[in-house]
Amino acid sequence: MTDLLEVVFSATFLITVIRASTPLLFATLGGLISDLGGALNVALEGMMLIAALTAVVVSVYAPWYVGVVAGMGAGAALGAIMALFHLRYKADVILVGFAVNILAAGGTVFALSLATGGDKGTSINLQSKAIPSIDIPAFEGIPVLNFFTGHSALSWLAALSVAGIWYFLYRTPRGMWLRGVGEYPAAPEAAGIGVNAVRAWSLVASGALAGLGGAQLAMFNYIGFTRDMTAGRGFIALGAVLLGARHPVGAMLAALLFGLFEALSIVMPGIFSWIPGELVQTIPFVVTLLALILFSYRTQRAERTLS
Amino acid sequence: MTDPILKATGITRIYPGGTVANDGVNLTVRPGEVHAVVGENGAGKSTLMKVLFGLEKPDAGSLTVNGQKVDFTGPKDAIEAGIGMVFQHFSLVPSFSVYENVVLGSEPAKGISFDRAKAIATVRELSQKFRLTVDPLPAVRRLPVGQQQRVEILKALYRDAQILILDEPTAVLAPQEVEELFTAIRALTAQGRTVIFIAHKLPEVLEISDRITVMRGGKTVGEVETKDVDESSLAAMMVGREVSLRVDRAATTGERALEVKNLRLVAGNGVTLADDLTLNVHHGEILGLVGVEGNGQAELLEAIAGLRPVAGGSLTLQGTPLDELTVLERRDRGLASIPEDRIAQGLATGASVAENLAATRLDDPRFVRRGILNLKGIRDNAVALIDRFSIRVGGPDVDVGTLSGGNMQKVVVARELSEQPQILLVNQPTRGVDLGATQFIWKSITDARDGGAAVLLSSADLQELLALSDRLVVFYRGRIVAAFVNHAELTSETLGAYMLGIETQTPEAMAGAMR
Ligand SMILES: Nc1ncnc2c1ncn2[C@@H]1O[C@H](COP(=O)(O)OP(=O)(O)OP(=O)(O)O)[C@@H](O)[C@H]1O
Ligand SMILES: [Mg+2]
Repeated sequence: MTDLLEVVFSATFLITVIRASTPLLFATLGGLISDLGGALNVALEGMMLIAALTAVVVSVYAPWYVGVVAGMGAGAALGAIMALFHLRYKADVILVGFAVNILAAGGTVFALSLATGGDKGTSINLQSKAIPSIDIPAFEGIPVLNFFTGHSALSWLAALSVAGIWYFLYRTPRGMWLRGVGEYPAAPEAAGIGVNAVRAWSLVASGALAGLGGAQLAMFNYIGFTRDMTAGRGFIALGAVLLGARHPVGAMLAALLFGLFEALSIVMPGIFSWIPGELVQTIPFVVTLLALILFSYRTQRAERTLS
Repeated sequence: MTDPILKATGITRIYPGGTVANDGVNLTVRPGEVHAVVGENGAGKSTLMKVLFGLEKPDAGSLTVNGQKVDFTGPKDAIEAGIGMVFQHFSLVPSFSVYENVVLGSEPAKGISFDRAKAIATVRELSQKFRLTVDPLPAVRRLPVGQQQRVEILKALYRDAQILILDEPTAVLAPQEVEELFTAIRALTAQGRTVIFIAHKLPEVLEISDRITVMRGGKTVGEVETKDVDESSLAAMMVGREVSLRVDRAATTGERALEVKNLRLVAGNGVTLADDLTLNVHHGEILGLVGVEGNGQAELLEAIAGLRPVAGGSLTLQGTPLDELTVLERRDRGLASIPEDRIAQGLATGASVAENLAATRLDDPRFVRRGILNLKGIRDNAVALIDRFSIRVGGPDVDVGTLSGGNMQKVVVARELSEQPQILLVNQPTRGVDLGATQFIWKSITDARDGGAAVLLSSADLQELLALSDRLVVFYRGRIVAAFVNHAELTSETLGAYMLGIETQTPEAMAGAMR
């Protein structure tokens, strides 16, 4: 037990948590924006996967940041395609989302084998680049301050995004439009706001954020692409949106919670050999279920008190 | 004569599906006037307004505003041309505050941020200028409908609307709120704004408007000065025949059908909604529940229907305690209910007319055989009811949601009264319903009564209660404060004094009217 506590309170463990949380946080923010706009993006998983591969392949030939931007662009483009089918051709947004996911699962394997010359499992023989971590030597070894060093550049960007998205949603007119469109589209429509345009942009932004998550996953958490490497993170993100009470700060806390359990599942089997890592990894799902039940129970009670 | 501020010529709008909602409609509105548009349900009034506001594109015809020809591609263009609209069904974001709703779409900004302080100040200023008192801060879902409507009007005024379209604004208002709305409308025209006003209640139209355009079956049938017409001539223009809204009293009353004894109802948060309610309803009579909305009448109806738990006292239906019965079992015993909100409680708007008409009787072998829907039976039933209740609709397969308000209400009435009920609960049966349909619905209710139903009727319209009820009880703060046997001398003023708690009846007088 003391072993576990020692590990958990070490700076390296914290870094592991942040690392595990970052892709999830991007995806959760993407899910949040689309959900608030009323066109829930269930394609986060597929977008992350395609973005991860794009980022890896581009980074072989270009600097790391170009790879990241390419991943983000791939996500945004997929968001635009979803918007086209959902808003212009009136297809159901959930169906379009699943189409993207299915396309991503098969398409990435196919594209990977083209890019690697036949390898359908990993991009191990590609010289892809990594996102640098931001190390602050002066903080090293100093308690508390050492928590702030050694994170991916994108982790910092993710934290900034939380603040930025919060400001956008609750302090700017366009954020108000987005929330209004998601809650009651007839109102913004009557006020002369282009409801479809707002939804289209929310899907593009959602895709771009998921794309950043994919880039972090394949250029920091792991270096290189592996088939199905997102492993359900895009779906966990959808749960995290609700668990985070559809608020950016809540989204961050939810992503951190899932990141914590992912990190635990990495370290715990090393300490307690009798606990399978897979079991620890199921904990966040159980927690989400319980949290969602509790959450809906509370909103129901609040509604009853109102009426 | 002044030049018109708005002129619509030959407007035609055909909905996909083939309904000709507007067929060469003309409308001329002069600056500074209150111009009423009247007509039966489905006459095409809302469609014409949506065309004026850029929400529907006309298939033919032209619009001019201030003498300039305009061609709206969306509400944005109409707003820019100085037109504002308050819809029959409000368009407010429920969780947003009053001021957020008012400025949504053209927010004051400071840099990239939304300037809240300025928005709040502007809303305060506007609400003072036009005598539309409302607190800018609370979320709109916490406000009563009358206040929500003011928010809608403020929204239009914030965009500097010179022409304000109000589509059936009074349908959702209590009588005092109507007076407040009229005060605001007068303040608006006094400051040079123009108002287009739609309503079904002719006394309201005659009180507030300067000129009236009458529509029937998608066409304009006339334009008159308000001072040249009275209620009956206007009604005849609208319907194309004489209408009378007279109803016969019950001939005889039968046995006691429903007993309510010391009933107590409590909201989820512990607040008492109604207390110590005791009354009886007999077969073959209509008992009117009088009261300002929110004084316990609607809650009593919900409790009888089985939609609200009972906190104390008893409800007995023909000798059986009701509280042991589920909603379905109550319906099996002949309980029928015409609820207050036809869209939220009365109908499934995404389903067809035929489906809605069969939805409450899925144990009927005509509609379901061996667990499988009998589509032909459901259709035949709908065809018969559409004819019997003269519902104006393209056919049984049309979505209920596309019907005009009055015709939606007729679908609910048709379903509930297609078989003779034992107990009939009715709440706001003719809200937003035209004269002809009102006459028809009243007749359907009295027919059910004459067939032996015990009817409980609640309505915000005192004239309706006085016209239909055989006996009346008045609710005030969740208690019954007065009871009357209806007679020709009973007036809405008398009822009003009890409704507002100004007068109370002696227990003896009350007992005299309690059978
Ligand atoms: N979106 C729609 N699609 C198809 N038909 C429609 C639609 N909206 C209205 N209609 C039809 O057009 C006709 C005119 O409807 P409209 O709503 O303009 O009537 P109205 O005069 O406003 O009636 P009410 O007094 O009941 O509000 C009706 O027959 C209605 O069923
Ligand atoms: Mg209408």
